[in-house]
Amino acid sequence: MIGRGPLGAPPDSFTMDTITPTRTADPAKTDLPLGLMLAWRVVVAIGLLAAAFGVAFAVGIEVEGTLRWVFTAALGIGGVLAILAIQWTRTMVHRGRATGFFLDYLVAIGAAFAMAQGADLFNGLDTAAARFNDSALFLILIVVGWFVGGFAEKTKRPALVRRIARSTMAAGLAVLLVSMGLLPGLVEFARRLTQADVFIPLAIALVAAYSARLLWSERAASSFGTNQNQAEVMDGFFFVSPNLIGFLVFLAGPLLVSLFISLTDWDGLTQASFVGLENYGRLFSDAAFLKSLRNILVFGLVAVPASVIPGLFLAALLNSKLPGMKVFRAIYFLPSIAGVVGVTLIWKNLLNATVGFVNYGILRATEIVNSLTGAEFEAAQPLWISGSSVALFSVMIVFAWQQLGFNTVLFLAGMQGIDPSLYEAADIDGASAWARFRSITVPLLKPTTVFVVTNATILALQLFNEPFILQAPGPPNGPSNSTLSPVIYLYQNAFQRFRQGYASAVAWALFALIFAITLVYFSRQDEEGVLSA
Amino acid sequence: MTKRWWALVLAISLVVAACGTDDSADTTEGSTTETTAAATTETTAAPSVETTAGGSEGEVSLVWRTRPDNQEEIDVYSTISTEIDANLENITLDYQPGSNEGAGYQQTLLTELSAGTAPDVFWIPGTDVADFATKGVILDLKQYGDADADFSVDDFYPGPMFHLTYSADTGNAGDALWGLPRDVSTFALYMNVDLIEEAGVTDPRELEAAGEWTWDAFKETVDGIAALGGEIKGYGQSAWWGPYGAWMNAAGGGFFNADRDACALDSDASIAGLQFERDLYSTDAVIPYGEDPEPPFRAGTVGLFQNGRWATPGIRTVDFNWDVVGLPTGPNGPGNWLFWGAYVVNADTANPEAAWELVRALTSADVQAEISALGANIPSRVSDAALDAFSGFTPPANNQAFLNGLAQSPTAEGPLWAGSWPDFVSLMDAEVGAVITGDRDIADFQANICSETADAFSG
Repeated sequence: MIGRGPLGAPPDSFTMDTITPTRTADPAKTDLPLGLMLAWRVVVAIGLLAAAFGVAFAVGIEVEGTLRWVFTAALGIGGVLAILAIQWTRTMVHRGRATGFFLDYLVAIGAAFAMAQGADLFNGLDTAAARFNDSALFLILIVVGWFVGGFAEKTKRPALVRRIARSTMAAGLAVLLVSMGLLPGLVEFARRLTQADVFIPLAIALVAAYSARLLWSERAASSFGTNQNQAEVMDGFFFVSPNLIGFLVFLAGPLLVSLFISLTDWDGLTQASFVGLENYGRLFSDAAFLKSLRNILVFGLVAVPASVIPGLFLAALLNSKLPGMKVFRAIYFLPSIAGVVGVTLIWKNLLNATVGFVNYGILRATEIVNSLTGAEFEAAQPLWISGSSVALFSVMIVFAWQQLGFNTVLFLAGMQGIDPSLYEAADIDGASAWARFRSITVPLLKPTTVFVVTNATILALQLFNEPFILQAPGPPNGPSNSTLSPVIYLYQNAFQRFRQGYASAVAWALFALIFAITLVYFSRQDEEGVLSA
Repeated sequence: MTKRWWALVLAISLVVAACGTDDSADTTEGSTTETTAAATTETTAAPSVETTAGGSEGEVSLVWRTRPDNQEEIDVYSTISTEIDANLENITLDYQPGSNEGAGYQQTLLTELSAGTAPDVFWIPGTDVADFATKGVILDLKQYGDADADFSVDDFYPGPMFHLTYSADTGNAGDALWGLPRDVSTFALYMNVDLIEEAGVTDPRELEAAGEWTWDAFKETVDGIAALGGEIKGYGQSAWWGPYGAWMNAAGGGFFNADRDACALDSDASIAGLQFERDLYSTDAVIPYGEDPEPPFRAGTVGLFQNGRWATPGIRTVDFNWDVVGLPTGPNGPGNWLFWGAYVVNADTANPEAAWELVRALTSADVQAEISALGANIPSRVSDAALDAFSGFTPPANNQAFLNGLAQSPTAEGPLWAGSWPDFVSLMDAEVGAVITGDRDIADFQANICSETADAFSG
């Protein structure tokens, strides 16, 4: 539990204060301002229900499309919970505390966002970030102060030096903030505070935050009879709440909206109509989509092994203790941290059929072979990007090359986790290097291999950037649609053909494919006991 | 605990600093229309628009956007925005380049239109006008154009204005006004003059001046240059609808029938243009279809490179002698495209009159001349002054080649008012590419292509 240390230890002032009573709370004996808390709970209930009504019937609050009903449902549920919390607070049961706390917490966050929107802070933050770059020079003062302070502390210099260092940091921070516009910002913020759409949400946020703090306190825990388990549940949810809220708002929410959109004919600009499963039905007769599926499966079958198998052998090579091996590890990892656009542009030039280095290399190599052997081989000059039979292969090369380093590092990490005594025992038994690799390294790397293969497969099935850049300035579909991938097709439908509904169906079909393949991987490995290992 | 309070104070300070640094303050720096002291009331119709009252009565802020190709263009458009801001009374401008590393122009624009946060004035490609107009996301400016005594649609090239004044409701051009063209471009052939001299073939500019720059002469020139051997090629074009469409146009064909409501790719004239391309690509004299021809041209290994005016800034950096020449005359005479894009007004703007003023200012002769200096654009105004200014920006020495393209009744690119241009072009690109590379029989193409693309016209 995070809230309280061992018995007798002083509670951390910033964490939740909890006790372990199991007694029944008595409303008459609490020292909490119960009347005010109940009044606030009523205000929250009325506010949430009124907001739900306002959103649903567009009274004062205009939210369009699907979000309207999502907001209505969320606010309505909040309102009902707030009503229940009134009763639970009156009877001083833990549910009243927990429900009230989380409602207040969410109301405070929501009101703070509304205040920021009303004060135009989000747009301002963009500009503030740009101003930060312009004023970043003053960070040097802070960094200098920090170094001097650290040095003074370590070398036990006089306190005066440390104070000067701290003052330098504070001065640097102050100058930075002033140069970013803190003073006019204060004036402007004070002016905006007079606007109702800023002042009211700010007041709500402050009251809700205060109420939440009150419910978080030790005396509230005591008054509401919160026991150890209940306190731990509250602690847990509170501490994961930033992540949970982010997940719900930025991942789960959009995913559900996308699922709904896939059931409509929405064009992204006008009102959508519900079409049921029509978009999904069309997928099966859409030649371009089926072609993209075929391409991506062929791509995955070749590109995944091409990026995984060499990575395994390379990792075995880099796992040796030869001098300078760390440098090579860094070199092989470089492609993974390089931007995919930059890497693909370089490959695009390398693979150019007429002036690319790859064909030039083939030409020169053939000439050397001919001159050495007297043969008259004709140098192949593949149309790497424009030939319908090899264009997808070019994409595989770029993809595998870029993924190789990352896979190598994962394998390397896995290999370094293998018990060295196994290799020593094998050495004593006279096992060859290949036998050790085959009988010790490969079997013990299975969990890593599962992860690497799964990860590479998911990335392969989401192919987009490489063909998009390789085929430019032409369409990314490539010759005879040979490099068309489902994600490219999705993009084209969503942003070039104004078919967000159909594009969402493509996205969900691809999700189903990726999910199914991942599931097969994991279930196969689970059967073999690899994952539990 | 002290550290936590300091962190809180710092976070609040950053947030408060954000209040004093809004975008409009940036863009109006130094201008006479700065309105920081004015009380601001946000309109509900368009989040990007602010109407101010108080210090400067009637002051409005407009956000506008165009798609630049490079930082130089961003700088020029920013300067232009500041200049227009200073000249337009009671209008404060905020220019946004429009795309970033994470999202393309179209992607960002559609997302913002969907969210109701799109700029007041923005640029779109000519082929998108129908989609934007019929979906009601751009404003019909006809009433403002009619009320503007200084405005005439005849000031601009008729091709783009046909689409920009077309009303889907009445089916007639002239019944609406969806925006004004930002600039135009035509195709020309960028020439590696050194390579042409080395090959000993007749200079295409001389042939053009003598009226002998025909398809046959073009083919001879290409073969002559390629005869230099090695990696030298005579000609290169990119694999999209513009280049092959120009050959179809010169043969008298085209993508659509006259009413633009049915496919015409199967017409004998269109097939003649395509056949010429297929014959051209059946030899080793050209950059293989689908390969980007710009790198080899810049490397000095291609004699003739077909592209629009937008390629000029990049070509200006090559280290060989180069110029441009017009496209060769086909069986039906000269054929070319008139490429264009337009400034349009967000249908949700709270300040349509101010937006119209901005569109007018952005398409004025002075502004167009300023942008033309970059070399990437041709003014969209039919004005001797604008064209004279354009001609003065060299290299290339032969700017007239682009202007000749404009004068020879080029086919204006445009949307499909009775169908889906993206659907049509997606199918067409793949099949035409297959014909040119020999993957599809041209007779089969002629027999079936229009039925294959029929769905694109179903609306």
